[in-house]
Amino acid sequence: MKRFLIVPVLVLFVSFGCAQKATVKPEAEQPQKEQKAEETKVQKPAEAAPEAQKESKIEKAETIKSEEAEAAQPGEEGLFKDIHFDFDKYNIQDTYRSDLKSVATWMRKNTAAKLSVEGHCDDRGTNEYNLALGDRRAKAVKDYLVSLGVPSSRIATISYGEEKPLCTEHTEECWAKNRRAHFVVLK
Amino acid sequence: MNARKLYALVLFFLCWLLSASTAVAKIYIDITSPSLKQLQIAVYDLPGPSGEEISGVIRDDLTFTGLFTCADKASFIESVSRPVDPKNWIPLGIEAAVKGRVVQASPLTVMVSLYDTSDGKEIFSRQYRAAKDETRSMAHEIAGDIYAAFTGKPGIFRTRIAFVGEEAGTKGIYLMDWDGNRARRLGPKGSFVLAPRWSHGGTKIVYSRERGRQWGIYLLDLQGMTEKRIFVSNGINMAGNFFPADNSFVFSSSKDGTPDIYIDNQGNVRKITSTHGINVSPAVSPDGGSIAFVSDRGGSAQIYVMRRDGEDVRRVTFQGSYNTSPSWSPSGDRIVFSGRRGGKNQIFIVRPDGSELMQLTDVGNNEDPTFSPDGRYIAFSSDRDRAKGIYIMRANGESQRRITPKNLKAFGPNWSPN
Repeated sequence: MKRFLIVPVLVLFVSFGCAQKATVKPEAEQPQKEQKAEETKVQKPAEAAPEAQKESKIEKAETIKSEEAEAAQPGEEGLFKDIHFDFDKYNIQDTYRSDLKSVATWMRKNTAAKLSVEGHCDDRGTNEYNLALGDRRAKAVKDYLVSLGVPSSRIATISYGEEKPLCTEHTEECWAKNRRAHFVVLK
Repeated sequence: MNARKLYALVLFFLCWLLSASTAVAKIYIDITSPSLKQLQIAVYDLPGPSGEEISGVIRDDLTFTGLFTCADKASFIESVSRPVDPKNWIPLGIEAAVKGRVVQASPLTVMVSLYDTSDGKEIFSRQYRAAKDETRSMAHEIAGDIYAAFTGKPGIFRTRIAFVGEEAGTKGIYLMDWDGNRARRLGPKGSFVLAPRWSHGGTKIVYSRERGRQWGIYLLDLQGMTEKRIFVSNGINMAGNFFPADNSFVFSSSKDGTPDIYIDNQGNVRKITSTHGINVSPAVSPDGGSIAFVSDRGGSAQIYVMRRDGEDVRRVTFQGSYNTSPSWSPSGDRIVFSGRRGGKNQIFIVRPDGSELMQLTDVGNNEDPTFSPDGRYIAFSSDRDRAKGIYIMRANGESQRRITPKNLKAFGPNWSPN
């Protein structure tokens, strides 16, 4: 539609220039012509359907999907303490090795249990990079647990980056709290 | 057809032929000129229902570009219905005038004429028609036509920005006009969503969404308002953008262990990075030949550029220890990104070869930059007014302003291609 509109504009510029020299006044004709040629319908953009319709359509797509798709597995939280990381780092600090050893011991005893390790970040980084950083944190924990003899197949990882903070203050204390690996035992 | 009409038509055609051989339309404003002079324009309030609102939008649009200044209405000597007389305008330095009227309210029909006040000639005269609830769209369309008449380039006034919004703890993909008006949620509800990216045609949006402890990549078709999951695996999966010519797209995934960059070509997935650490946030260059991305392979998060086959990797950023979120200018001559300086994230632009680094923001944290399709503006998210919101500025950092409402937490903007 845009390209179509440009042409009449070009033509108009020139036609006025020429009209002067030819001492003819096509202006009287032109606007009439213009009105026909250039009547511009402002089309509703595709997404500008009534609000309710939009919502329901998306919701519908969602509903259809959720029937076949995996629902979030219920899990038990709070069995193990979170372990924490330095800013923009994903190495496991020595202070948390004993905590992870007790997680590994518990996993070796409860052979039916599966574990989900969630990686989280503080909100000082950018969202996408933080999602990757959270992924590395969760995997670092998983790798350590595997090295302690927990089968890899029993540990899943997921990153929430900075999307699921425990607190939202802009203080070092709060940031440190949010930089964590969190454990969920899956049923 | 009478003789006069025929004569006009022939003249019209001859002129058109002439124009084809000599030059294109007169360019009033050369937007590539570094010493650009603003054009002063008089935009009348169009008489009739919604006329004032329409004229207001036109003025706002033109003013934001930095190419126009809108003359004070108090200086308008002529009536809106009278032809333009140069002697009323030339002494004031006003170079153009917009007149017209609202012909009818439903369907909203508006007649607009643009005049060159130096000779009183009409540059164009057009009739616009739209449904009542599309008043703002129509006003943007008129502003775009005025902009195009003076610059020879299409404006951005009908473009839109997709972003992630959060209300009452619920995130979703939102869409709004480029000026922040008509922000609306497209869904989906109640999940974690990230990184919306437009398809080249502007009809689809690809993004990442968490569901059932998995991050999947989803494609939303705006025409049918249907959502489709196009990739999922264990670990994280984050949408990059599409290649210009085909349906293949780039994304980052940790499906094989560490986060790496992949290309999906109709379901054929190929890995194009493989270092031990993080490779994330891929952005395809406008010509489709290169990919900018973020990697910590050098010990800190930095921007790199590689060929689309993953070869010829070159580091772009060397200052600071945290440079992320690269995005290309439409001509491919600049990369805009978010870099951490003094504990805060700021917006920078740089040439793809690493030269001509320039900082554009200095207040609060500023992230997720994205260029307008004409390359003259940048949208980004900022927490400078506490709650995160979307801001726009000129590509040189001037005229920064928040466009999302204060009560809406908003981030991750991506500017539509058209």
